[in-house]
Amino acid sequence: MNARPPGLAPVIAILVVGYGAVPLLLGANQYIMSLIVAALVIGCVALSWALLGNLGGMVSFGHSAFFGVGAYVSAIVTLKAGLPVAAGMVLGGAGAVLASLAMLPVLRLRGPYFALAILAYAHIFRIVATEWTSVTGGSGGIGNIPLLPALPPNLSGIGMGGKTGAYLVILTIVLLFALAYRAIRASHYGLALRAMRDSEDATRVVGVNSTLLKGLMLMVSAFMAGVAGAFNAHYLNFLEPDYAFNGVWVTLPIVAAIFGGYRTITGPVIGALVVYLLDQIVFKALIPTGHQLVLGGLLVAMILFSPTGLLPLLPSLRKSASRPGRNDHA
Amino acid sequence: MTDLILQALYSGLLQGGSYALIALGLALVFGTMRVINLAHGELVLLAAYIAYTVESGLGLNPAWAIPIAVVVVSLTSAGVYGIVSRIRKDREINSLILTFGIGVIMTNLILLIWKADVRSTSSSWLQEAFVVGPLYSMRGEAVFFIVSLLLMAGLWWWLSRSWYGRALRAVSSNREAAKLMGIPPARTELVSFIVAGMLAGFAGVALYSYGVIQPAYGGALTVKAFIITVLAGVGSIPGVLLGAVLLGVAEALTVTLASSALQELAGMMLFLLVLFVMPNGLLGASRRRG
Amino acid sequence: MRKITMAASIAVLMAAMAAIASRAHAEEFVVGAQLPLTGTLARVGAGMHEGVMVAADVFNKGNSKHKIKVVTVDDESAPAKAAAAVEKLASEGAIAITGGYGSNNISPASDAANKLGLTYITSGGVDNNLVNSGRKNFFRINNTAGYEKAVLGTLAEMGAKTVSIVFSTKEATSDLANSVQKALTAKGVKATAHSFDPAITDFKPIVNKIRLQDKSDVILMVGYENDYVGILRAARVLKPPVKALIGVWSLATPKMATEFPDLMPNVYGTALLPFPATFDTADGKAFAAAYQALYKKEPDYLGQFGYVQSMLLFEAIARAADKGTIKKGGVAEELRKTDRETLIGRVQFGANGDNLNFVHRMAQHQGKNIVIVWPASNATGKMVYPGKPW
Repeated sequence: MNARPPGLAPVIAILVVGYGAVPLLLGANQYIMSLIVAALVIGCVALSWALLGNLGGMVSFGHSAFFGVGAYVSAIVTLKAGLPVAAGMVLGGAGAVLASLAMLPVLRLRGPYFALAILAYAHIFRIVATEWTSVTGGSGGIGNIPLLPALPPNLSGIGMGGKTGAYLVILTIVLLFALAYRAIRASHYGLALRAMRDSEDATRVVGVNSTLLKGLMLMVSAFMAGVAGAFNAHYLNFLEPDYAFNGVWVTLPIVAAIFGGYRTITGPVIGALVVYLLDQIVFKALIPTGHQLVLGGLLVAMILFSPTGLLPLLPSLRKSASRPGRNDHA
Repeated sequence: MTDLILQALYSGLLQGGSYALIALGLALVFGTMRVINLAHGELVLLAAYIAYTVESGLGLNPAWAIPIAVVVVSLTSAGVYGIVSRIRKDREINSLILTFGIGVIMTNLILLIWKADVRSTSSSWLQEAFVVGPLYSMRGEAVFFIVSLLLMAGLWWWLSRSWYGRALRAVSSNREAAKLMGIPPARTELVSFIVAGMLAGFAGVALYSYGVIQPAYGGALTVKAFIITVLAGVGSIPGVLLGAVLLGVAEALTVTLASSALQELAGMMLFLLVLFVMPNGLLGASRRRG
Repeated sequence: MRKITMAASIAVLMAAMAAIASRAHAEEFVVGAQLPLTGTLARVGAGMHEGVMVAADVFNKGNSKHKIKVVTVDDESAPAKAAAAVEKLASEGAIAITGGYGSNNISPASDAANKLGLTYITSGGVDNNLVNSGRKNFFRINNTAGYEKAVLGTLAEMGAKTVSIVFSTKEATSDLANSVQKALTAKGVKATAHSFDPAITDFKPIVNKIRLQDKSDVILMVGYENDYVGILRAARVLKPPVKALIGVWSLATPKMATEFPDLMPNVYGTALLPFPATFDTADGKAFAAAYQALYKKEPDYLGQFGYVQSMLLFEAIARAADKGTIKKGGVAEELRKTDRETLIGRVQFGANGDNLNFVHRMAQHQGKNIVIVWPASNATGKMVYPGKPW
């Protein structure tokens, strides 16, 4: 178990590229920026999914539940109660946490039962959103959701305003969540959770309250996914039940996390960027009607040949050449 | 009002029979290997599309498609097993994601081959009314209900009497012990996948005969099948029928007494309720909690 | 001396290039088509796409001065990808967008088009919010009101006193159903509404309620193809004592007649053209011929809508090009001045981009044919009322 902190160099590189290079170089191309923002939203959900899997030991097939609840709560409080967008997003996350409290009873369930019970919740929330017309606007959804606050002109450089501003916001959110994830993992809780993953009975014997910890991780994961949903609502200014609770918020984050390596922190986000951009820019151009097939194939190949993801394979290939036998555990 | 409720119960019963047929394959594989085949719905859908091709291409009654569908889907199912068997560790979770990916591939293949149009049988015979007193149904529904009862009875007999059937049950309760007793676990698991494929073949043709199919339906079928598997409890065939009928009746009653917009809600609530209150399912026997 | 020759030849070269570029610019205009070609709306998107391509074909053949090139991007039936598709089309030089289906996809897509200064025309968004949100370059050729008028007109002509409305809880269907229910109640017609989740396949419980409780004259179905099949099957089994079954879009089509011949007799649905289709105008004949040549089949209502919206757009582009106002918002300006007869009737756009005159037509399956029965001005035959598929 390796707790070596990443060197300063990669961190600075990420900050420079993320906050400097990308907006300056790509900011003018609205289309590419759209793709990057969408990929980062997926990456945020993928991060939350991986956190639940790694630290909580639970695989979920219904993260769309948190995403959708976060989106709706944020849209409603900003539109109807007039709260500022930033507060709305935090409340969206809080709403998702409340939703996760409703799921506490299923925490006791094992693997696949838990995964699909969460999916059942997602379906239920979707139906509630469709039927509770007075609050959620029913199947028509909510339109004209307040936009993200525009960047002051002197910061947005080339004057791209809206899109670049949105990009910077989601980038910041993802980075903050990644830091939080790292903090939890490095803390006492993190140690306990990783021990739990290996053997829950043993940790219980030692006195760790596994159910409480798992519940906390569910809430953290819910918060992250909820904020992602809230961001998306303000970015698109539009929401409706089928979209907010869509299966795509379940499948793409899973593919992204598995591809990028769900045992690492950066894996899910990088996986999201790579998978989404590859899919939209390369595969879609090659196979217009069926490029989603490639994603399915990718997932199958990943699980068979490298369940810990493709990206971790690259450095370990290099390292195994120089240092045979090193165990790269996250 | 009584007429309404009686009809709802009857409709729910018939619908439950069809659900049971769809769920049976998933339940069998889950009982044997503790693997949830998330591509099961797509297998059923594949059989349904084969029935469509037979009917529209050859002009025959969809029932003629049954042998072809059964063979093709069993082979596909065996193929799925081939891929799943390659998983080395964490089989329970990895197989979930793996079969999920296979499901995505199959849905898109079906979309590419058969396009996105909505399909169903145009056979008059199957759509004619079949009336028993105050109870109405389509002939196709009644026929395939009987078929699914027969299949379930056959499966139950096979599991308790035949060598492979009992081998399946042995492997499901203790894989290592079964191996020691000379039962080849891999071959047995392959058999379970093939039988599941056969059942999916029947279920798909039935689905085409009384319902409407679209490439996107695969996922919804899998979810329904899993809900019923949970309701049934692991390893119980009668449980599958009971759970399926329960689901069908709950849905029909919700539509009749409350609003039809809440039908799906009924299924989900029932699912969660059973998970909370009876985690071993209605007739199941083994541990569910972890 | 050499330097002067070099400079001169470069100048000539550049002038020639500029001439070629500007000539190509005057000749060919790129129009973007953002449509769902995969995902849940794939079928609808494919149909509309055919209409768009036929329009480009007919326009280019009939217009020697200006050419239209259509570039298509699949929006995968997803809102975020719809907006991204518009942005991609803009980056490829599109000056206007035709397409879109589903108000949830059209909303973000037309917003993106607005930000980029592109005109957006569609026939796939009947939601009223689309035209009430102050979008400046947004145009649409159909709306919920047009469907409502067709339904109410037909019901009035039938003289129905009680109507049962069965509708899917999706947005477009529930909007229409609620509107119709309100209008009927205001006229003193008893209208009972039954909503259903789009995932329902067994409609017997609902139809049974209608048979035993409502006892209506007419059943109005507002849903999609799979819903119609389910409802009609349940109705044929339960045989409620109704006098007519009316649906809206996707029902009165030749495809439904051939695939479900037992369910369709005497059923009503909205349709633009009868079947076999007869085209009286030159426009219509050109349309039918081009459709047959390109796709080897009869056009359906999706193709018809796609054709009309795109033709109007191309004509506006041509007018704006002639006046030289393309770069100054001329396309939208010219589009707003549209006033002509089309396959769907007279089209005129209001200040909010809505087609003021849109009234759909109601047709009925009669034998192997589809006959337009309402309004009288477009009717090709008489209503068979009462009439049921059993």
